[in-house]
Amino acid sequence: MTHSIFKSIKLINPATNFNQKVNVVIQNETIISISKDLNLEKFHKDNKTIIYDCEGLTMSPGIFDMRVNIGKTENLKFTQIIAAESGITSMAILPNQTPKLNNPSIIDHIKRQSEDINLPKVMVYGAATKDINGLEMSEIGLMSEMGAIGFTNGNKSIKNSLVMRRLMSYATMINRPIIQHAEDEDLSGLNQASTTSIKGEMNEGEISTRLGLIGIPACAEVIIIERDIRLAKLTGAHYHVAHVSTRDAVNVIREAKKSGLSITCDTAPPYFSLNESKLLTYNTAFKLSPPLRNEDDRLGIIEAIQDGTIDAIASDHRARSKDTKAQPFSAASVGASGIETLFSITLDLVHKKIIDINKAISFLTINPAKIFGIDSPSLEEEKIADFIVFDENEPNTIKQENLKTSPTPFDGRKIHGKILATYINGQVAFMNQIFKNKIIK
Amino acid sequence: MNKLFRNNSEVNKSSPVKLSSHHLLAIEGMQKTEIQKLLDRADYFANLDKHTDTKYLSGYVVLNVFFENSTRTRVSFELAARRLGAEVINISLINSSIKKGESLLDTASTLNAMKPDLLIVRHPHSGAPLLFAEYLSCSIINAGDGRHEHPTQALLDALTIKRRIGYLEGLKISICGDIANSRVARSNIHLLTTMGADVRCVAPSTLMPSTLEKLGVKCFFDMKEGIKDADVVMLLRLQNERMSGTENPSEREYFKFFGLDEIKLSLANPNAVIMHPGPMNRGVEIASVLADDTNRSLIKTQVEMGVAVRMSIIEALNHSKNKT
Repeated sequence: MTHSIFKSIKLINPATNFNQKVNVVIQNETIISISKDLNLEKFHKDNKTIIYDCEGLTMSPGIFDMRVNIGKTENLKFTQIIAAESGITSMAILPNQTPKLNNPSIIDHIKRQSEDINLPKVMVYGAATKDINGLEMSEIGLMSEMGAIGFTNGNKSIKNSLVMRRLMSYATMINRPIIQHAEDEDLSGLNQASTTSIKGEMNEGEISTRLGLIGIPACAEVIIIERDIRLAKLTGAHYHVAHVSTRDAVNVIREAKKSGLSITCDTAPPYFSLNESKLLTYNTAFKLSPPLRNEDDRLGIIEAIQDGTIDAIASDHRARSKDTKAQPFSAASVGASGIETLFSITLDLVHKKIIDINKAISFLTINPAKIFGIDSPSLEEEKIADFIVFDENEPNTIKQENLKTSPTPFDGRKIHGKILATYINGQVAFMNQIFKNKIIK
Repeated sequence: MNKLFRNNSEVNKSSPVKLSSHHLLAIEGMQKTEIQKLLDRADYFANLDKHTDTKYLSGYVVLNVFFENSTRTRVSFELAARRLGAEVINISLINSSIKKGESLLDTASTLNAMKPDLLIVRHPHSGAPLLFAEYLSCSIINAGDGRHEHPTQALLDALTIKRRIGYLEGLKISICGDIANSRVARSNIHLLTTMGADVRCVAPSTLMPSTLEKLGVKCFFDMKEGIKDADVVMLLRLQNERMSGTENPSEREYFKFFGLDEIKLSLANPNAVIMHPGPMNRGVEIASVLADDTNRSLIKTQVEMGVAVRMSIIEALNHSKNKT
């Protein structure tokens, strides 16, 4: 039998509202003891006991990153490895890949392909409609049986109201949420079938005017959300808005939640920590969808995080090759990397005293799990050891050259906090040298 | 021509201008004094007999790299560079490497490997010249990028106004037309507001950015109000290639409300002058008879001043690079 002992670690477990300094003992894959007092002598006799001195360190459940794009630049396994290093123990991937995740066999294939006891668990969204035009419902019942956790058109909005109504209605039968990228694509000029030749490139406002880039008005987001809320009311569906970015959007969602509808939403680090002024140099690392909004919208997102209107924080990871980003802004690809910075930028909310650490961890762990009705990861005795160990205060600077995915919109940002170890299914999925040095000989 | 203006600072005009950058990417951010010096030097060039030897830049290599169609701007830059004695090579990349799938930066670095001193770039995407400036070692002039800026056009417009009226400060200048899609409008707004002019913009609401007033101008949707008492009426081309067919119902409706005709012009200052960056759509932005009115239309002078302004800029960039 192998024992790992995490001595004097601050354990944060949102599921039981626990935040105390304790000693955690793992036997094989299971947590066998969480206690203030630890009789070390009983373990010393066993040669296979490893004791980590965790003074000043924190343990929490692993991150469930509910929004990851697997782009052309990376394969799934590569992303899983980086995710483990970033404190992520499970992640949900979007259906906008090649080939599209729009039928049960491919859902099954992805799940089998990604099954590795030592890597983050991969969950899959099924494509809500068969193709990008969004007119025909895909086999969401069969995909659901294969384990699809929800249905979405990923980075495209489900545009047609009738299709949306039917999707919501059908999804209530199988008890799965419909996830929307809320954007009126006619208004933002992204609808390719439209007669307009414009193509929205950034948030509309003074900066888009100065830069001569085509603006996407902020209301392109809330227009779709307002419609969808009415359809959710009509159908009783669980409706989830992905990466909300505007004050108007969270205001509308807040009201809908108050009226008792089953509505949830998430946001991503760029939307609470950056604004459109970053684009002033045409830096394509900030070309995102939805676009970075103005400062008032950013503050609106922060308020919605504080009051719980926003349920979860996801990376919205969409890594891009350097070639597609080293282009004039209009020609550059959309998206930025996110899994490597999700934890530290979220922790920044704690250092800036916007939310407390328990809440920050909840946004990354039990809250997204609740949205999908997945068993909340919980660190209790007799549970499988699925957790991360981190240093909340370690000062660091995010640098693109130190990251494995690109482009990061946080290059040069000073942060505090570092993931030291990730345990998945009781196994070490990642452990850095700093933590290895904590072993008490 | 205003003799008074032409003679008032002859001394300063006899030497090249030194700028804080060795690129000219945008008017936004340029200092008033820099603009003033460039205009003075251009004025000096404009007064020279065209056979005067101004070949100060022999051996200087200029690449005219155009990713968009252009006749007047390209020729104007070429003439300016040649009059300074530089070697000029024109490269039209509308159909070649773009179609082959070569990335913009590959194209740029290929050109850079030939060691030019100056790249003059026109590109359909806003910000493209900035990308060139970031990656290449030579000087860059933005000859028009997407909807962003067209700095040399604004400078030549300013010189044209100064030579006719004598000053810019306090002038009422109305810029009319497709403001939303116009790089000429943006550069002119930045330059004219920096120089202290009172700038008004006139456009249909579908072609007027909603946040334009933050750039220090007043916005009008009624052309009659917008050009009232104006000293200068600057028209913009209705960018047909960028018009989607949804911003305006028809050309004739546009002309009725936003085209410059005698009636609307009668509301401006009686001595008001008319400008247009060209090429014009007669009967759309401007009544044909006004375009040809040599007393009021400065359209041909604008073209003439283009060469002088570009000479002063090319010379200044060379001078600024050598000295930094």
